Amino acid sequence: MAIAIGKAIQEGRNLLEPEAYALLAHYGLPIPPHQMVSSAEEAEAAAANIGYPVAAKIVSPDILHKTEAGGVQLNLNDGGAVKAAFQQITDRARQGKATVRGVLISRMAPPGTEVIVGVIQDAQFGPVVMFGLGGVFVEVYRDVSFRLVPLAKRDAAAMIQEIKAFPMLQGVRGKRSADLDALIDLLLNVSKIVEENLEIAEMDLNPIIVYEKGLSIVDVRVLLHQKTPTA
Amino acid sequence: MPAPSPSFKSKEALQALFRPQSVAVIGASTAPEKLGYQIFKNILDAGFPGTVYPINPKATEILGRQCYPGIDAIPDQVELAVIIIPAPLVADTIRQCAKRGTKGAIVISGGFSETGPEGETLQGQMLQAAQAAKVAVIGPNCQGVNNPHHPLCASWPLLTRRGGVAVISQSGTVGAALMDWAAQEELGVSTFVSLGNRADVDEADLIHYFAQDPHTNTIAIYMEGVKAAPKFLEAVRQCQKPLVILKAGWTPKGRKAAESHTRSLAGRDEVYEGVFRQFGIHRARDLEELYDFSKALSHLSPPKGRRLLIVTSSGGSGILATDMAEVTGLDVAPLPDEMSQGLRAVLPKHCIVANPLDLTGDANAEMYRRVVEAAAAHFDIIALIFGDPIPGASEVVGTDPLQLVIYLGGAEVERQERLFFHRKGIPVFPTPERGIRALGQLLR
Repeated sequence: MAIAIGKAIQEGRNLLEPEAYALLAHYGLPIPPHQMVSSAEEAEAAAANIGYPVAAKIVSPDILHKTEAGGVQLNLNDGGAVKAAFQQITDRARQGKATVRGVLISRMAPPGTEVIVGVIQDAQFGPVVMFGLGGVFVEVYRDVSFRLVPLAKRDAAAMIQEIKAFPMLQGVRGKRSADLDALIDLLLNVSKIVEENLEIAEMDLNPIIVYEKGLSIVDVRVLLHQKTPTA
Repeated sequence: MPAPSPSFKSKEALQALFRPQSVAVIGASTAPEKLGYQIFKNILDAGFPGTVYPINPKATEILGRQCYPGIDAIPDQVELAVIIIPAPLVADTIRQCAKRGTKGAIVISGGFSETGPEGETLQGQMLQAAQAAKVAVIGPNCQGVNNPHHPLCASWPLLTRRGGVAVISQSGTVGAALMDWAAQEELGVSTFVSLGNRADVDEADLIHYFAQDPHTNTIAIYMEGVKAAPKFLEAVRQCQKPLVILKAGWTPKGRKAAESHTRSLAGRDEVYEGVFRQFGIHRARDLEELYDFSKALSHLSPPKGRRLLIVTSSGGSGILATDMAEVTGLDVAPLPDEMSQGLRAVLPKHCIVANPLDLTGDANAEMYRRVVEAAAAHFDIIALIFGDPIPGASEVVGTDPLQLVIYLGGAEVERQERLFFHRKGIPVFPTPERGIRALGQLLR
């Protein structure tokens, strides 16, 4: 993993999504089946191999916000749709003068409860892990909890329980509880990733879909300190 | 990141500031409206046990004491210097003090980093002088130190009541207010320290010191931001005593105000919230909570569980207490049958034997005593609300199980009883909500 991070810093960029996926996988975190492709035909073959429905996402060091740049298409159900998506996504990126490394085809995760895990740098306290429920809960209500790296298990459990929307995870209106143990593991692993890779400045795992059993990390961004920290 | 482990000011260095044998007041004044007069007078009036030297080149005598033109004119060693002179003179003065054996300086003077780049430079020069001479400095731009256990009142107002809470404040007035309330209630503090600009001694040094101080059982802090996060966290990690912090500047504009007040980096409030929870710090949301939480933590022991019985002479107060108990996570549990039956036999017919247990307006101390006796085996905590003038209230309250006293609406009798309670070391809270919220801090 150190190699991919080192290379990215050398090239003065952040981790590309396939590299970020590899980083998570290295720490045993659940990521969807995915494949990086560089042509419409490869995209179709990859989708057939992975299994439908799939998502297609632009891979470019110049594009941080993929959806806003028109670089994401979801719920693609057949080869024709995948090929068309490849074309549109790469065309749009090139129109925006972005370097295109390829397109990431990944399996769509089934619906569940969406949560967000992030890492930010606090000016005084250093790396901090953030947890919240996806969508309006974070954006509108700012219903989030924070803990300093490194997290202990009880910190991870507490930060899940202290958000106001916690009952949503416990199961409301006949739904069963989301897999809280898997969430605790995820938070502990994110903390460990940051602890062991000092080059990481920020992380954004958004969304993560949590199920009764297990979870799936759908999208991940890893921003790097562009110089090795000296402290 | 193997950061070097932070070093704290030594106990010896800080003892020069809090428990000196001799003090020089540099900038002592003959004019009663000047701080240099008030501080000198307060040191004398509080009964400082060592020698106090006023220093002022223009005076020969202040309050009957011989005045010296400079510290070098004093024939003896001086352990502590309290400095109230213009900022540009402070660095040099500290150098001179060091030659007289001074180990600590409390710099009251303003005109340093809080005023802009020039003040920033003066503060840097002062710090350099202090570090070279191994003098520990509190301030500048601060309201001084008051240790009633020594006693040393190098501060204002003059307050001498001794207690167990160390009050550390980035705002002089906020800290003094807390101390004033504690004095009025006859509870007192262990030491009051006004941090000012924190050029040298910071909150982490003080947490580290008061964690070991035999007179301190609880530490209360008003802060606008930590000075150095790793050092602060290390001090908190090592501190075994309850730590209550009021962190101001939790809105964007409040944050800006904090940054201009003492040049503190106020930081993101959500991060502070997370840090406080992670490190077991009691977070007060306002000054009253800072006072109430410290008062509860200083005087009460954690209960064995969450089962709470509320006993009251005021129906309304009982409901307010119940609401707050519910949101605080306390269990306002129903009375066991055997307890209700026993109480019905000994209490007047019109009492409502439930939880809250309403003794109604003609309640007397004896009725409370009976309830406490009957409840002891069934509840972890008994909240006793005296909602009327109830003479003798302070005689029926004990400590096992945990008893929380709330007294309101009792006028003169209440004021008298509150002092009786406090002299026995049992804290009294002025409203049901404040009492129950403070109680909640004992449950973590």
